[in-house]
Formats: sequence, C-alpha cells, structure tokens
Amino acid sequence: MTGLAPIDGLAALAIVAKAIGYGAALLAMGGVLFSFVFAKRAEVSVLRLARQLAVGAALVGLAVLAARFGIRAARISGMGFEGATDPMMLGFVWESPLGTAAIWRGFGELAILTVLVPRIGQWIALVGSLAVAISFAQVGHALGDPRLVLAVLIVLHLLTAALWVGALLPLRRAALAPSGVDVLHHFGNVAAFGVAALILAGTALAWLLSGSVAALFGTAYGLGLLFKVAIVAVLLGFAAFNKVRLVPAMRAEKPGATHALRRSISVEMLAVVLILLATATITSVTTPPVNL
Amino acid sequence: MIKQFLLGLAVAIAPMVAAAHSKSEATTPADGATVTEVSELSMRFDDPMRIISVTLTATDDDIEIERETGMEPTTEFRAVPLEELAPGSYRFDWRGMASDGHPMQGNFSFTVAE
Repeated sequence: MTGLAPIDGLAALAIVAKAIGYGAALLAMGGVLFSFVFAKRAEVSVLRLARQLAVGAALVGLAVLAARFGIRAARISGMGFEGATDPMMLGFVWESPLGTAAIWRGFGELAILTVLVPRIGQWIALVGSLAVAISFAQVGHALGDPRLVLAVLIVLHLLTAALWVGALLPLRRAALAPSGVDVLHHFGNVAAFGVAALILAGTALAWLLSGSVAALFGTAYGLGLLFKVAIVAVLLGFAAFNKVRLVPAMRAEKPGATHALRRSISVEMLAVVLILLATATITSVTTPPVNL
Repeated sequence: MIKQFLLGLAVAIAPMVAAAHSKSEATTPADGATVTEVSELSMRFDDPMRIISVTLTATDDDIEIERETGMEPTTEFRAVPLEELAPGSYRFDWRGMASDGHPMQGNFSFTVAE
C-alpha cells in the first residue's frame, strides 16, 4: 500500500483524539450555526439544546486540543508517553503548523462559549465558529498549493458539515414538539443547499489532493477516501429519505413517523462518527497522492 | 455494530500496515546495501525534516552514534558511529516532524561484511 505510515499505539491514539476533536469542533460550530439559522423557527428548548451542545462541545474541543499536543510531542519524540510532557518536544509542536492551528481553534472554541450570552454573545460565538473553521486551513496538506483555494474549500467544507452535524441532536429533539415539522421541513431546504456546497467543496479538495482518478485506487489515501465517501453516500440516503418520506409523513400525522424519523437521525449520528474516524485516519497516516 | 465495524476496519488495515514502509529517501549506506565500512550515516529529504530521535541497532544492541546535524529542520541529516561497525546487520530508525507538522518516522537497514 503506497502512502501509508506505520500505525503504532500512539498513532492510533492520535487518530481517536483527532476524530473526537473533529466531532467537538463540528458540534460547537454547528450548535452556533443552528441557533442562528433557526432562531425564529425553533422552540426555545430546542435552541437552548443547540447552544448547550455548542458549549459542551467547545469545552471537550479545548481539552482534546491540549491532549493532542501531548500525543504529538510523544509521537515525534520517540520516547513514548514520556515525550508527552517534554518541554523541548512540546516546543517543536508549538512551532509547527499545529501551534498556529491551535491558536485559531482555541480562540474560536473559547469564543463559542459566549453563545449562552444573549445578543452580543451570539455574534462573538459566530465569529468563533469561523475561527474554528479557519483553524483547519492552517495544518497538513491544506498548506500546499494553491493555498488560498484549498483554504476557502476547507472552510466551506467544515462550515457546511458543521451545520448538518450540529443540527442532528436539536432536530431529534424538535421532532417531539408540535412545531417540529416546520423546523424539520425548513432544515431539509437549507440542507439541500448546504449538502450541495459540502459535496462540491469535498470533491474539489479530493481532486486537488489526488491529482487523478487512478490515484484513488492505488493509494492508502485514495482507498480511505473512497471508504469515507461510501459512508457519506449512506448518510445522504438516510437524509434524503427523511426529507422526502418521513417529514411529509410526520406532517400528515401518520402513526410511527416521529419515532421512525428520530431513529433515522440516530443512524445518521452513527454514520457521522464513522466518517470522522475515517477522516482522522486519512489525515493522520496517509499521504495525498499529489505529495507522494 | 460499531464494534463489528471497528473489528472489520482493524482486519482491513492489518495487511496495509504489514505492507507499509516509509518512502525511501536517499540514504548512506543505501537501504539493503552490503558495505565493508561505514564512516557516516546520512539521509536526504525533499523537504526540510526535523529529525528528533535516531537509533542504530545491531541484532540486539544499540550502537552509539553521534549526530552531526542538530534538531533544526534539514534536508540532509548526518551522523557518525562512535565505534567501528563489526560485520553483521544493522538497522537505523528515525523519528521526527515534517515541515507541515506531520509526525514522521522511517528506517533503513544495511549489512556490514568483512
């Protein structure tokens, strides 16, 4: 397999920590975005859930960010876990692009904590969400050429993914309330555009980093990406089924429709977990074909 | 379901790990070479690499080596063995960080013949 780095215990730990960091960042950004997009439509309890979710995720994100510094220091040190607290190794990590990204992400996740403060806090949290998205353009192969194009695509990819991922739990709650159908219906319309942007940005990134279709089948990066896309396709299938079948069935007050929709959203969450693990694996231990 | 998936993933990844090897940079001695003497150990990289830890091992023992290149990112790393290498097989392992922040590691092996 070309372009696959060895996976030892620390690398596996780094992948899991990164996946949790991705999930926390998406939920934090997404909770804020949801409370903006649905400020007038969703019930107070649903909006509160979205904001609490954003704050909880931001706190987890900050903790994971600190842990990832230690894990990376340990990995580069060759000393095992002892390297995690070695000042020199931590200094090397801080000087690397991860340090720059950590400033953006740390600032962004701190700013998201203000989402619980009415009005001004909401706007600060929105700026924080943008900072978190920008943090992802500061590391790894996003630093290649054409850098500005890659950065814009990644930020767009992250924000649209966050809108979706951050909406799942609030929507699952909204389904229980009488006004929920309108929120779900509106989400279906917003998501249609969001998903189109998400897929376009993802495809463009994959194209820029792969260079050719043949590279997808012969490299670890390509196979990992195909695996990720396969789960995304399943996720899209569920989302489409919800929009076209289950939400109209709820509107028609068909028995069992609400239960079916809530279960379907739970499956979507599971798919998101798999996608994040796949993404963390791809970005940790494989090399994009254009860099091989 | 998650458990089954993770198990499946582990099974799928296992052969990839087994087949994985670090991209071969130019090294001295060359990977797999048989040489009669080793006056220096060196590696060249396309992009500056911060080499953090290096070890040279004979069958079981670590051989002491002295780094000529410091911890600064470099495209050429050099070190010298502190003792003459006796005939046998050797393996050089390194860990470090690429300029984009990715942790990197690699190794090369060579044989010293009489």
